[in-house]
Amino acid sequence: MNTNEPNALVVEKISTAYDKANVLENVSLTAAPGKITCLLGSNGSGKTTLIRSILGLTPPNKGVIRFRGLDLRGLPTHRVIAAGIACIPEGRRVFAKFSVEENLRMGAYQETSDAEVRERLVRVYTAFPRLSERRTQLAGTLSGGEQAMVSIGRGLMRAPKLLLVDEPSLGLAPILVQENFNIIRRIREQGITIFLVEQNVHQTLAISDYGYVLSKGRVVAEGKPADLSKTKEVHEAYFG
Amino acid sequence: MDFGLFAQHTMNGLMLGMMYALVAVGFTLFFGVLDVIKFSHGDVLTVGAFTALATFVGLKSMGVASTTVELLAMLIAAIGAMAVLGAVIAKAFVLPLRAAPALNTLLITLMLGTVLREAVRLFYPDGANPKPFPRLLPAESVSIGNFNLRLDNTIMLAAGVLVIVGLQLMLNRTKLGLAIRAVAQDEETAKTMGVNFSAIVLITFAIGSALAAFAGLMNGLYYNEINFGIGLYLGVVGFSAAIIGGLGSIYGAILGGFMFAALQTIGAVALPFASAYKDVFAFAVVIVLMAWRPTGLIPEKLSERV
Ligand SMILES: Nc1ncnc2c1ncn2[C@@H]1O[C@H](COP(=O)(O)OP(=O)(O)O)[C@@H](O)[C@H]1O
Ligand SMILES: [Mg+2]
Repeated sequence: MNTNEPNALVVEKISTAYDKANVLENVSLTAAPGKITCLLGSNGSGKTTLIRSILGLTPPNKGVIRFRGLDLRGLPTHRVIAAGIACIPEGRRVFAKFSVEENLRMGAYQETSDAEVRERLVRVYTAFPRLSERRTQLAGTLSGGEQAMVSIGRGLMRAPKLLLVDEPSLGLAPILVQENFNIIRRIREQGITIFLVEQNVHQTLAISDYGYVLSKGRVVAEGKPADLSKTKEVHEAYFG
Repeated sequence: MDFGLFAQHTMNGLMLGMMYALVAVGFTLFFGVLDVIKFSHGDVLTVGAFTALATFVGLKSMGVASTTVELLAMLIAAIGAMAVLGAVIAKAFVLPLRAAPALNTLLITLMLGTVLREAVRLFYPDGANPKPFPRLLPAESVSIGNFNLRLDNTIMLAAGVLVIVGLQLMLNRTKLGLAIRAVAQDEETAKTMGVNFSAIVLITFAIGSALAAFAGLMNGLYYNEINFGIGLYLGVVGFSAAIIGGLGSIYGAILGGFMFAALQTIGAVALPFASAYKDVFAFAVVIVLMAWRPTGLIPEKLSERV
């Protein structure tokens, strides 16, 4: 992929560790603007760690992370977010003791204009009428599918240029999984760059423009979805 | 007991309860955002009370005679200085220790508290002895039967209520409050939403310490005397109150503060022996309560944490 694209997310040769041993080793990838780039990998391969590295929650010990020309590595998380990034985290992580609306407002935390926040709320409620019905309900009392909507809506409240999505289908009923993928496709249509981390190979490749495969903390394959689904690395990464 | 005496004890209990609650709320706020116990909290109260006293002495030496000006200046100086001190303590000693076991924070802030206390004792002029604290609020009183309702106490109670209501409004109605509550619930997700975590921690420590300064000033105005040990005692009581209330709940801390004061008052009045045992009685009840309800009276799931 073209790593010179100025508005891309570029990850170059990063290594990340929680304690001593590196969980990510020399990982490089690019998420092109306006496209869906996916990262496939089995449980424990380091997908979430990569997202945490980008967000500065678990900063890499070497390598470079750039977004729209800005060097993100070493920045505190709120400054990474300020670069126009939002994240729909693994396991949704809604604020259980906040109402649906408070959760959504948290998504727009860095937006200073009240009018803009209200406008975004209207947009999210239009996309998810169900959330509108439950706006005063505590998020902790919602069903799993509704919490997924809150988490996605919260990410959209940021009006991001780049959206990081970590295993949105995890723990959802199959019908909701398909709905989730449809939503992600629609978000891309708004021109938002998407970096999607998933275990769910077929549905993910079906909506992606480009993909990478992570295995034991290393990128072992990359390519266009059609090519990627045939490679032996994808099969090995999951079944090998 | 006749009405006058009962009312007198109730008023005294409410005054104590307000001070305890203000200190307890600080412990709860700190625990909420950072899951740490900051043991120097009580001594920050002492430094706040002495800052107010020093401001008073300074103004007097400059010839300021208006009690309103004096009181306002003392309030602003004590609250402002302790807010800064609280933020500095968080920045210098609490945040850097995040990766270390929680016990280390506890130990360091315990030592820091001793340093603050000893600094007051050694460096404040004649700081080892109790210092008279000026009576600055109107001293009138209204007699209701044989009960003397003092205006100064009423003003202090009302001010305390206003402070607590203000804190609640800030926490529940403002963006800053939303951020503080978000950090208390889930630090990482709050960061991921773009919250500047370190800034929120510093602000929270500043707010908690300002509340302690307010309680310290109240203590001085109520007893008309302060000494370098008041914060040590109020810190232990405030901490117990926060624990009884289920550490992490603001309502719990307030309830715990007033409950402790109620226990002391009951201990002083109803026990057959001298009132000197009121603390023994109150702390004994706390110990029993904690053995019975180890997580506090307000269970976490009912209380909205912070
Ligand atoms: N907080 C953590 N502390 C230590 N090790 C961790 C932590 N989180 C994940 N790991 C380890 O890092 C590796 C990659 O985990 P993760 O990035 O969560 O994988 P994935 O998201 O692909 O399932 C695993 O071996 C896991 O045990
Ligand atoms: Mg994961």
